[in-house]
Amino acid sequence: MKDLKLTGVRPDGARTVVEVGGIRIGEGFTVIAGPCAVESEDQLLRTAVAVKEAGATMLRGGAFKPRTSPYAFQGLGLKGLKILDKARRETGLPIVTEVIDTRDVSWVGEYADVLQIGARNMQNFSLLREAGKSGRPILLKRGMYSTLEEWLNCAEYILAEGNPDVILCERGIRSFETYTRNTLDLSIVPSVKATSHLPILVDPSHGTGVLGLIEPMSLAAVAAGADGLEIEVHIDPPAALSDKAQQLSPEAFARLMRKIATMRRTMDELAEEDRR
Amino acid sequence: MNLESLRRDIDRIDARILSLLDERLEKGLLTRRHKSGALDAGREAEVLERVAARSRCLAGEGFTAALYRRIMDESKAIQDRGLALIGFQGMHGAYGEAAARAWSPEAATMPFGEFSQVFDAVLAGDVDYGIVPVENTLGGVVGQVNSILVTTELRVAGAVDMAVSHCLLAAPGTDHRELRSVYSHGQALAQCRRFIERNGLEGVDWFDTAGAARMIAEERPKGAAAIASRFAAELYGLEIIKDGIQDSPNNRTRFFVLARADRLRDRVAPAGSAAGDACPAGDKCSAVFFADDKAGALFAVLEVFAEVPTEPGDYAIFIDFAGSDRDEAVIRALDRAGALARDFRLLGCYAERRL
Repeated sequence: MKDLKLTGVRPDGARTVVEVGGIRIGEGFTVIAGPCAVESEDQLLRTAVAVKEAGATMLRGGAFKPRTSPYAFQGLGLKGLKILDKARRETGLPIVTEVIDTRDVSWVGEYADVLQIGARNMQNFSLLREAGKSGRPILLKRGMYSTLEEWLNCAEYILAEGNPDVILCERGIRSFETYTRNTLDLSIVPSVKATSHLPILVDPSHGTGVLGLIEPMSLAAVAAGADGLEIEVHIDPPAALSDKAQQLSPEAFARLMRKIATMRRTMDELAEEDRR
Repeated sequence: MNLESLRRDIDRIDARILSLLDERLEKGLLTRRHKSGALDAGREAEVLERVAARSRCLAGEGFTAALYRRIMDESKAIQDRGLALIGFQGMHGAYGEAAARAWSPEAATMPFGEFSQVFDAVLAGDVDYGIVPVENTLGGVVGQVNSILVTTELRVAGAVDMAVSHCLLAAPGTDHRELRSVYSHGQALAQCRRFIERNGLEGVDWFDTAGAARMIAEERPKGAAAIASRFAAELYGLEIIKDGIQDSPNNRTRFFVLARADRLRDRVAPAGSAAGDACPAGDKCSAVFFADDKAGALFAVLEVFAEVPTEPGDYAIFIDFAGSDRDEAVIRALDRAGALARDFRLLGCYAERRL
């Protein structure tokens, strides 16, 4: 791939590790968990405590929501950011939250540890440039119609502004299949490893949109070599204001975390065999 | 003219009415030194007559008379409560006022324009205490205050060491994305410089942090915010966009609470009295003295305090040390220092509160 001056594989093979509040993304395994949207202080704080107990390393939660319909819940905005800030103080989990408006980038950066740029905004170039100037790590989701090359070029925009801390995240692409919300493209994980030094996470919640598929796809993402997962967890999924069908309960998330640990041990053994 | 802008005007006016009501009740409290009881029937009749004479518009005579009777009743009730009064420099919502309220939550706080006015009001007996900043971890000593402390007859009744947490405040309903300018005292702006730059704001110098908050509440200029205390936000009904916006986390200010020596003596319980008495023993002392202009003079005095770790600066020397003026060793050290130094004065022995 040409023109990938900053995101392409480095001659020495060194991979980027993004440091956030003591967590190193790109080394070991990162699990970002939390609700689709911040709905209330009670909902977020209870979810935050539950995902931390289950072993999550970072907390997600949307304060500004890019919704398909203008009449759907749009998020709590600044109030949501303040609730996330409180959750960080209470649990110590670093905060990942989406930014959708260029005018919001600096303000979201005042509250969040990692700024997420969603699939729908992947090619919003003015937002990418602003994110590049924010001084915060950026979680860049793959656009639902985007090729690997287009995606890496978007990361290039952020790096070109002087921000080296970009984390990629696969969240499913559009295909002819309608049973799942998106088609989770796990082949992208080793493809990213072969073409770029940036860390790559997988979001099986948006990637499938089907509760029963989150666990097998999470384990498959570990097998594919992902650096981590981003999973939607809600303290009471049936009462969620958005993404009802794809948010795990804390209990289901804790079960999944135990299986992920087993899967990681297996992968470590395989890697050990390769070395021998 | 639309409903929204008319309501904004009404909110602005309400903010002013509330500030003025507070100011009127404060002036009532300050009159107590100059009269025997709260009630002065002649004065009340005079006020009601003047109000009636001016009630020629929508606020008619029946309404204004009832309103003013209510205000004067409240003013008398407050005067009868016998509140301790603490003077501070700045407008309501100042950091000094926040420190005063922490030191004594029941007292009434009285604003003064200048530090010297605070000292004068305590001396004259208009207020019981005055609270003044003496040093800040980033700004150093407060020169204006220290130059008065050198000569004042007032004593230190207490101290408060308070973390200064600056907040970005805006009128309720303000979209943070529309903010362009931020008003505050130059020192607060300087302490939040990186935050201001990061968010593309323009700092506008204002005479006072709390004054900036009050202006935002009363004038509601478009796209404008203030940097002031959380207390100022509560006082003026402003929304906190972000708290703790100062660049350095180690921003602390130390305040002295000053009182007249005679008043202090009234309140000092005899040594050895039970714990929980009105005025427990202090554990920190502050003193000031002049050292003669000859070699070794300063050292001779400071040597006395060799056991008490401290830092010294025609130098008036301020010295703070841990210890109680009821402790024999401290009493001896003070006597010896008094003999060696010129004009040695113990400013006070007090309990310091850390917030």
